[in-house]
Amino acid sequence: MSTRAGSPVGRFLWNFRNHPKRELWFAWWVMVIFYQLYGVLFFLVTRVQPPASPAWDTPMVVQWFNDRHFGLLAGFGVVFLISGLCAPMNALLAYSMRRMSVSRVFGYSYLIMYSLSAIPGMFVMAIAMTVGALRPDRDSELIHWLFDFAFLSFSGTMGVFMIGSLVWLVAILIDKNGVFPKWFGYLGLCNALTEVVVAPAWIFQRGVFAWNGAIAWWINMVVFVTYTVCFIVLLRKMIEREDFGTGPLPDLPPKAERSQPDSVGSMQ
Amino acid sequence: MTNLQEDSSTEQVDRKAAARFVPGQPDMWVFVLFESLLFTGYFSVYLIGRIQNRDLYLQSQADLDLRFGVFNTIVLLLSSWAIARCVQASREGAYRDALRDAFLTIGFGVAFLVSKVLEWVKEIRLGNTFTSNEFFQHFFFLTSIHLLHLLIGFIVLGVAVYQLWSPARRSQQLVETCATYWHTVDFLWALIFALLYVVR
Repeated sequence: MSTRAGSPVGRFLWNFRNHPKRELWFAWWVMVIFYQLYGVLFFLVTRVQPPASPAWDTPMVVQWFNDRHFGLLAGFGVVFLISGLCAPMNALLAYSMRRMSVSRVFGYSYLIMYSLSAIPGMFVMAIAMTVGALRPDRDSELIHWLFDFAFLSFSGTMGVFMIGSLVWLVAILIDKNGVFPKWFGYLGLCNALTEVVVAPAWIFQRGVFAWNGAIAWWINMVVFVTYTVCFIVLLRKMIEREDFGTGPLPDLPPKAERSQPDSVGSMQ
Repeated sequence: MTNLQEDSSTEQVDRKAAARFVPGQPDMWVFVLFESLLFTGYFSVYLIGRIQNRDLYLQSQADLDLRFGVFNTIVLLLSSWAIARCVQASREGAYRDALRDAFLTIGFGVAFLVSKVLEWVKEIRLGNTFTSNEFFQHFFFLTSIHLLHLLIGFIVLGVAVYQLWSPARRSQQLVETCATYWHTVDFLWALIFALLYVVR
């Protein structure tokens, strides 16, 4: 007890060795860091988001690659390094479903789907863009092809995310353990429906339905960010409420009682 | 004394009514709010496009058959009326009537679905497809995404029927939640109808 009451480092080490929820908190923090990094790498370092126009001609696309040469290499280099972080993140999401009063099929199918989704959602784009950046001497038409391939795989393959959202949604709505509030389930429906909206990006090269369009990209991004922020916060609450039982998840005690030494405050 | 008791019981009922400030799960109202915001986004994009290309939109709008729009609106309004009656009947414990109204709602929904598909077929035969021009992009997009909501609505109405079917279930809250969803489908259509067919 005295160790815990000591310095922040001491408390952290104690929690690191003994906290019963340390794996859950680890996965949650990985999730927070991953999404932060994802934003920084895709928007600031590689600058592949917001997406470039699909209507550009080949010289402009080649120029686009040249302008981002080092950003693409550095950014996607880090993406390749950190991609393994998806595993604990997906594990935590599946864990939330295993904690519900629903069949295991939900958790496992979600886990498999979201493990696969890293391929079109991250890897294909990272590989195609890195190839484009590392082979500037190749035929410019091939560079243009890589550009199309990268963005269409990134924006156009939302089916797996849509089904994933629906699996989570159904699990939340039929769950009797109250792991997530029902409103988040309904929000999942909004998110799933916006995934459908990206499909026209395969057809249009300009306008609101192109991969950089107001509907296919900007509005979807707002919904996705809202959805993501909500589930990160709700997962945190779930971990705080977790009692490692199988019945309904207990509610959090009032704040005054929560600031006790056995809380997870020291890890946060 | 009796008066006092009556007063306190009325007070309790009032308090309960105040605590239960929306019909159904409040969670569904989060969905209603969020969907309304989302569609406001879609409508804003449509209106901005319209301002930039007014002639094209007016010209394309002339190809729409207003009769389909009006029929669809009336049918969905009737479906909303039917689901409202269903909730009312269920509140009063008249479950047979509630079930009848739920099926009536499904019937109106199917009529909308059929009419919408016929309208699409007509437009496509006229040469107006998803890729024809900007107006028809919005037309097919908004009507499709709305139809998707309607199809999900059939699952939702299925939940309401399932609840009303057996005396072992009959959760009034769930029935009202389902009705709230269905009203949203109707509400969104009313806006889509106004924007696509009526606003000139």
